[in-house]
Amino acid sequence: MRAPIGRLEFDRIRQWMPIVTLVLLIALVGAFQPGFLEPETLLQLASDTAVLFVLATGVTFVIMIGGIDLSIQSMASLASVIVALTVSRWGYAAFAFAIAAGILAGFLSGVAHVRLKVPSFIATLAMGGVLFSAALVLSRERSITLQTSERDYQTWITGALLGVPNVIVIALVVLAVAHTIQSRTRFGRYSAAIGAGEPAAYASGVKVDRQKIIALVLSGTCAALAGVILAGRLASGSPTLASELLLPSIAAVVVGGTAITGGVGSIWRTLIGALIISVVRIGMTFVGVDIFAQNIVFGAVLIIAVAVTIDRSKIPIVK
Amino acid sequence: MTTQALGADKKARSARWALRRRFAAWAPVAVLALLCVIIALINPNFLSAGNFVRIAQAAMIPLVLGLGATFVILMGSIDLSVEGVLSLSAVILSLLVLNGANSNDFGPLAILPVLLVGAAVGFVNGVVHVGLKTPSFMTTLGTWFIGVGVANALLGGTAVRINDPFIRGLAIERFLGLPWGVWLALACLAVAFVIQNNTRLGRYVYALGGGEELAALSGIPVARVRVLTFTLAGVFYAIGGILAAAQLGLGNSLIGNGRLFSTITAVVVGGTALSGGEGSVLQTLVGVLIVAVLNNGMVLADVPPSYQIGVQGLMIIAAVALSIDRNVMRIVK
Amino acid sequence: MSASADEPVLAMAGIEKSFPGVRALKHVSLELRPGEVVGLVGENGAGKSTLMKILSGVYQPDAGEIRLGGRATRFASAADANRQGVGMVFQEQSLLLNLTVGENIYLGTEAQFTRLGLVDWRALYASATRQLAKVQVDVDPRTRAAALDFATRQMVELAKALTLEEHASGHLVILLDEPTSVLERPEIEILFQRVRALKARASFIFVSHRLSEVLELSDRIYVMKDGAVVAELQAAEADVKTLHRLMVGRGLQAEYYREPLQKPFGADVVLELDGLGRGDAYRDVSFKLHAGEILGIAGVLGSGREELTRTLAGLRPHDRGRLIVGGREVRLSTPADAVDVDLGYVPRERRVEGLVLFLSVAANITLPSLKQLARRALIDLGEEQRLAKTWVERLKVRTPGVDALCLNLSGGNQQKVVLAKWLNAKARILILDHPTRGLDVGAKEEVYELVRAATGEGVAVILTSDTLEETIGLSHTVIVMRDGVVTYRTPASPGAKPNQVDLIGHMV
Repeated sequence: MRAPIGRLEFDRIRQWMPIVTLVLLIALVGAFQPGFLEPETLLQLASDTAVLFVLATGVTFVIMIGGIDLSIQSMASLASVIVALTVSRWGYAAFAFAIAAGILAGFLSGVAHVRLKVPSFIATLAMGGVLFSAALVLSRERSITLQTSERDYQTWITGALLGVPNVIVIALVVLAVAHTIQSRTRFGRYSAAIGAGEPAAYASGVKVDRQKIIALVLSGTCAALAGVILAGRLASGSPTLASELLLPSIAAVVVGGTAITGGVGSIWRTLIGALIISVVRIGMTFVGVDIFAQNIVFGAVLIIAVAVTIDRSKIPIVK
Repeated sequence: MTTQALGADKKARSARWALRRRFAAWAPVAVLALLCVIIALINPNFLSAGNFVRIAQAAMIPLVLGLGATFVILMGSIDLSVEGVLSLSAVILSLLVLNGANSNDFGPLAILPVLLVGAAVGFVNGVVHVGLKTPSFMTTLGTWFIGVGVANALLGGTAVRINDPFIRGLAIERFLGLPWGVWLALACLAVAFVIQNNTRLGRYVYALGGGEELAALSGIPVARVRVLTFTLAGVFYAIGGILAAAQLGLGNSLIGNGRLFSTITAVVVGGTALSGGEGSVLQTLVGVLIVAVLNNGMVLADVPPSYQIGVQGLMIIAAVALSIDRNVMRIVK
Repeated sequence: MSASADEPVLAMAGIEKSFPGVRALKHVSLELRPGEVVGLVGENGAGKSTLMKILSGVYQPDAGEIRLGGRATRFASAADANRQGVGMVFQEQSLLLNLTVGENIYLGTEAQFTRLGLVDWRALYASATRQLAKVQVDVDPRTRAAALDFATRQMVELAKALTLEEHASGHLVILLDEPTSVLERPEIEILFQRVRALKARASFIFVSHRLSEVLELSDRIYVMKDGAVVAELQAAEADVKTLHRLMVGRGLQAEYYREPLQKPFGADVVLELDGLGRGDAYRDVSFKLHAGEILGIAGVLGSGREELTRTLAGLRPHDRGRLIVGGREVRLSTPADAVDVDLGYVPRERRVEGLVLFLSVAANITLPSLKQLARRALIDLGEEQRLAKTWVERLKVRTPGVDALCLNLSGGNQQKVVLAKWLNAKARILILDHPTRGLDVGAKEEVYELVRAATGEGVAVILTSDTLEETIGLSHTVIVMRDGVVTYRTPASPGAKPNQVDLIGHMV
């Protein structure tokens, strides 16, 4: 049966809804507070979005494959603690330690998920607990402020390149790499196939378990990188440094139009989603929404944004 | 002859199935028993009556929350609004009963509007999810923020002391050795059990979890069942909010912190599948007890506090890994 | 009953239904008399399923009249159709596997057992037991549906449809939609027997692609083509050839199974089973498969052939004996192992295991062989497009483009994509697990042609099929399995094909 023409065109429009939403939101905030549209503000907005975007990118890989990673905020915090504890002695190698911890944590959740068949929701939630404990123990339950000498190692995060803050450059590099992985590598293709139809992917000879582990490793790596960036920006490390970032990250992925059930989505969409989340968050302060009411607006915008952006023609049943 | 052969094969198959099902349902119970034995060996105080009361007190709120979440999960959806509803109901309750912030004193009557608020949030969850076709994950994530936000806006970030003797009594006064709150939680369990097993709603929740399209073909009002189930869950969370307010003797918007994930953990540890259609409220009771006993055991075994959440994580992976029936679930997400 | 024999239970007149861009039903009229079984045949897209959906209340007709028991009526929903005594027996998938048999039978109609909001399960199960007795199925209604085999599930469906007589006043109308597609011959026998026995209670509309079965069960047959009824015949006066000609608009040719294209197979042994066994599913299975050979496996449910097929697909590894592929002994623990030794599995559940429906045609075609497209870890997307287009052209896949989702293709075209996937992966052996299930005559022919073409190029095929006819027609060699062992083997060269009766004798 031929698809009705009207629906096809509507689907084509759907694809652009996240961007349209983003532009509309920026215009809306700009209309209330023209200062919001100034280049410095927008640059600041982009810098503030970087950490969220990097976290969300990692979790995009996992959501695409049909899972979820709830350990990212604990991982990011742990990474910040590792950096804060080791940077004075080991210099740049501290960042490598932090990233290695992310890779290891992702691998362990992956193994727990596929070998022990624990749902990713639970495996990563539990791994989050383990990582949080590790951060608490390592930091002796306190926040570690970086000394001036230690901050010199952070200039690659805190500095600027031709007027563009380095965090934005880092985020763009992450975007390029993640987008390539997602759209051009076998892993990217396999993960979309697994998310959209695991039995068929499996029967076609895709090594499903391996892809799931890779997805969680990528997520752990991104989370660790986000923690490293955060430690640089805040000049400290603490076991709760990245708390409050988990839900916005997942929200960013879904608001961008990636299906929470997997199979449909992209890193680009996550970038747009992360920007939407940031614009709403920062825009509320700009517009002067009461601090205590901000969560209400945020929750409502979240629901509306998802209602507008998700492409239901590619999702079998909305659960 | 052929018919007989087929029949024999059929019988053998269903017998195998029944056995496997029974094993799957009892595995979490075995895990719980094992856990109890281990902890009792480490510290015999575990078996004291006072400790049982402590476990019961620790389990009552997770149980009530878990009952609501179980229905939603059985249906194949997820509900993240637990903390939002819980904070909101605790705050509203604290403002309606005898308290330290205003002159209200509605006593036990205040419970009714609180339950209605819980039902209303659940209803909104359901209506938005069904009406706007937004995934339940995101819909309820939104109402989570909204619930906490409203609670925050009501109190402006402060906490309200509850002076009402009836509400405080839920946590303090005892009947047959257990606080009234525990009895209330058990009553909720009984109600949930009856809804699950003896009402059409209960059956339809399983039907939706087993296959929504097929359920619709059988004439089941899918949208109504979804909305009702979220509403029901909202009521359970509101009761959880009342118990939390009673236990802490105050209402504030942070009262729900950390309760969502522990709720879902308990449901899954009990053996209810996140994919829907498999599980029960009794299994949630077992799951809640596993988590409560585990936490209790860590205290009894003198595990340092900063290690506890990590140990809990590892034990939960072990518990789920031990109790998942791999033959039934090939795809684990 | 005899008095009203001429008064139709159900009469549809001048039914019209259009969808955007398609006129699905053109002035369709159909009558069903008391105690009658009416067959409804036609190719996919002929309008059968649209008509069934109108009858079961899923769609509303644009024009025309439906009379039930002489009264004009309309069906607002599936539940409404049920209330008026029209029930539907779907293919086996429509039972909820996590519920019990009894719960399934009364799903959606528990109200009658509900007092003060509580369901009286004892009454429901007692009643369910009576319903099961009507179709002579001896299972405990408290059994979970997942524990039943396909045949029993089908009987339970029938029992569910029969519950309508408890609250609908008139004679029941039951629509049987492809009820035999997952059943084996002996089970079909039982189903037909029950349907005949129920004629006093209900009239049936029987929709099926299997013409011989339609002829066997029906009293009268309607043939649909392009949205219209093109013929109405008495079953006694019709035969498969006539029906086929009416449906397709041309005759059933002798080369339906492309027998003239069946070439002798090569001498190279590509696959060898030596005393292969798995649990109590099958044992001591030995045979050799040669390049270019089609080896058909016949057997009823429980014969072990389904499990054997799954073993070769890498889904159920063997635990005894030797499996030799391309001269190397292997154990296929996962499908990936099977793909590594150039085996390609065309599963029966095309939409679940065959294709990732929510992925494009191109992505599905290259899924098992993506490695070949990787240049320095990146997929060559241009090459992928080119390859996909080549296959779409060669296999005449009707799709808006290689980027279209497989979801939107017809069953036949989906199956071509599955075949393209394995041909592109250069599979040397294809495991065809019920490859034409649910396909219409035209699509089947295209699949046969593709299979012949592939074997012509040296690909070997293991075939388990829905019908014996197909097994015999396509294969070079047929083996028969019963209770887990091979009971018979015979060559099946063109002109010297074994006959069905012989094979059945070894099956049961």
